[in-house]
Amino acid sequence: MSRKIIPFIVAFVLVCLVMVVAGAFAYSGAITAEKFGSNVIWETPYTSAESMNVIDFTGDGQDELFIQNTSDVTVYDGSGTLLWNFPYSSSKTTMSDINGDNVEDIIVFHSGSGSSVDTIINGQQSTLATSLAIGSPARIVFIRFSSGPQIVLGDTSGSLLSLTSSGQPTWESSFSNEEIRGMDDAKIGGQTYLAAASHDGSVAVFDAQGSIVWETEQEQLRRMRAFDLNADGNSEVITGGEFGAFFIYNAADGSVLFNTSLGQAVSEVREVELNGDPSSREIVVGGKDGGVWAFTFNGTTATQIWTGSLSDKVTEIAGIDIDGDGKEEAVLGDESGNVAVFTENGSRNNLSTHTSGIMRIDVGKLGNERYVVIADVNRIETHKVNFNSITGFQYTPLIVGLIVSAIILIIAAILASIPAKPEMKVSFQDKSKESLTAERRMLKESIADVERLRKSGEVTGDAYLARLKRLRGDLADNESAYKTAGFPIKVETFQCPNCGGTLELGMDKCEYCGQVILS
Amino acid sequence: MPLLCIAGVIGVIILSLFFYLLNTARKKTAPVTNIMGKKEFTPVYVSIADKPDSIMLGMDRFVKEVQKTESAGDKWRWIPMLIFFVGVALVAVDGVLILFGYFSFIFTMGAFALWIAAFVMARSLRKSDSFDFSPRYKGTKEILHTLRDDLKPNATFLGHLDLTGALLPTKVAREAKDTQDRTTQYFRDEWLALKAKLYDGNVLRVSAIQKSKKRKSYTKRSRISGKYKTKPEKFKGTEHDIKVRIVVNPEVYKIVTNKEFRPGVNIGKYTISQLSTENGMVNVVASSPFDEVEQEQILNFLKSAYSLLQRKAA
Repeated sequence: MSRKIIPFIVAFVLVCLVMVVAGAFAYSGAITAEKFGSNVIWETPYTSAESMNVIDFTGDGQDELFIQNTSDVTVYDGSGTLLWNFPYSSSKTTMSDINGDNVEDIIVFHSGSGSSVDTIINGQQSTLATSLAIGSPARIVFIRFSSGPQIVLGDTSGSLLSLTSSGQPTWESSFSNEEIRGMDDAKIGGQTYLAAASHDGSVAVFDAQGSIVWETEQEQLRRMRAFDLNADGNSEVITGGEFGAFFIYNAADGSVLFNTSLGQAVSEVREVELNGDPSSREIVVGGKDGGVWAFTFNGTTATQIWTGSLSDKVTEIAGIDIDGDGKEEAVLGDESGNVAVFTENGSRNNLSTHTSGIMRIDVGKLGNERYVVIADVNRIETHKVNFNSITGFQYTPLIVGLIVSAIILIIAAILASIPAKPEMKVSFQDKSKESLTAERRMLKESIADVERLRKSGEVTGDAYLARLKRLRGDLADNESAYKTAGFPIKVETFQCPNCGGTLELGMDKCEYCGQVILS
Repeated sequence: MPLLCIAGVIGVIILSLFFYLLNTARKKTAPVTNIMGKKEFTPVYVSIADKPDSIMLGMDRFVKEVQKTESAGDKWRWIPMLIFFVGVALVAVDGVLILFGYFSFIFTMGAFALWIAAFVMARSLRKSDSFDFSPRYKGTKEILHTLRDDLKPNATFLGHLDLTGALLPTKVAREAKDTQDRTTQYFRDEWLALKAKLYDGNVLRVSAIQKSKKRKSYTKRSRISGKYKTKPEKFKGTEHDIKVRIVVNPEVYKIVTNKEFRPGVNIGKYTISQLSTENGMVNVVASSPFDEVEQEQILNFLKSAYSLLQRKAA
């Protein structure tokens, strides 16, 4: 094939390859130029928030910001103005409509006159129960059982105490010996139950009478949450262990639907609708060493979608649809003050870093806008998170592919234009009969010389054969030159049919390749 | 830390590529040397069977042809460097995007593709480079030029000029093993063979032979550690022989003895080792321990060999 064509064929193949890859990138949607940013709308000092929620406590249709730490319970309005502040000691809180006025109320489990429960309804603080037979506050939850609502308290020694909404104890349980680490409402056949878990790894589901529906043990755990991930009327109980065990239990019977080991303590678990498909819910898990995992649950089992990381222990996870595409992004904070947005495919986009560790993150509508509220060790910041993308950026692989292809073709054209290196064997041959005869004589003398050298032992083996082959080749060229010039010549050489080496007539075996010659 | 290492390795590769392309553009490449520590030359084999002028013209034409190939590549030598900078520009686009807060790597991927293409092109351009022609090439031309007036009218020079290399496997004349089972190869490279019928009726044959010695690489076991070590091949030296035969035209010359041209006498870089004047022929073999012998030495030796011939009275 022509030396001028080969570079173009190679170039064509490469160009096709480049354009196929470019096309795959362009149309797969993998290439995007997107960024997330945030502006602080308002901020206010607040120390070490333990719980935070954006919710309407006044019934005016506008959400307020609830925040609580170990020393007080505070509510700000949408613009950051302080509405209420109540001092408490070692308090734990939950929010629910306790009085049935369709407005959320605050229920506080604190160490007041013994273990006590207060309510804050529309800014009015009142005591519901005091001197309760339960230890230091660990968790509180308001569960709407089918038989009626109950306030369930959990303490640091693993005991549970249930109260009616008027503060009368109904049942108690000491199902564990260590701190209650999670309480949540779990659905079984559409009915509401209580899922509870303690630090020693005990996980149980209770009915309205405090009877255990099922219980199980696992490694020490840090987090427990219950979600109905596939909206089938049965919740899934999700636990994260002290040593990385991640379990999803069926709330109905306690069977394990999924479990894996994440390799580090699970510090937070939240549900985030990452893919926008309501038939499957996604769970984002944060680790003590900064690991981030996203799982999707299809009703039967969970599948890991992606993994990522932050620089330090993940302290909070929240979901918000920042770019308005119907899919939530996961906003994560860590103990070093980093806040990052993880998208559906797990790409990480950093927001501004805080000078102290992130305590809580929540998402909600304050005023007319949806905000991400971030509480670090020293303050609360309300952020307006924004999203920017370059339109049409997904087609840049095609532009890059065209640039690369054009340069490949230019290179091919240049290489094709360079002439081939000349043959490094040149022959200067006079075509006169006298000259050809003299050359022939010289070649025969040289052949005789080589034979003499071989006989005397000066030249042996390959060197002898190589020299002989070259001289015989020259002799064959000489014969061809004779024939071409039309001079009579007695042919004395022939070519080996196997290796093409020139041999003297009459030889029955090729000296170069060992081929037996019959003709 | 691993990311830093990967970035470092990529940085070193890109920097190496930059200097490779820069040296390609400036045509600055390290001279290639052979095992003898000498510069490599263009390996060429010239078969000689023509009149001196045709041979000399042909040799010049061949040099020009080789140079033409090289110069055809020379004008494009800066292109790989330009392609490299196009790649840098693409990386800069990604850099600007990252500066504005957008994460992008697609332009960098394109840059890597371009850098690979630039490297391939630079390799091809370097391949079109030729080594210099051996001084023997020019020297042989000088010999032909000097002898052309002594040639019988319309006669041709016959022979060859073999500059393909003295240490080719096909030029191993013999091998010998020493007591330690190490193999030494003896090379015989008849790089110049020339035969010419001269104006005075004599027939002159000249052969220039380079004899070299090389010890092949071998493996030996260390007496102390017991480990096997491979020793590289070692060049052991070279010497040059010249063989001259003059078939004397008895009608013109008679052979005489000459005290200045006898075995053991130095003629330039050569020392005569054998001399025979029987059967109307002068056969002389001389050797030289020098690494290289120039064409002046060969011509001077031929001139000295002619001192054995005495022109008969008319």
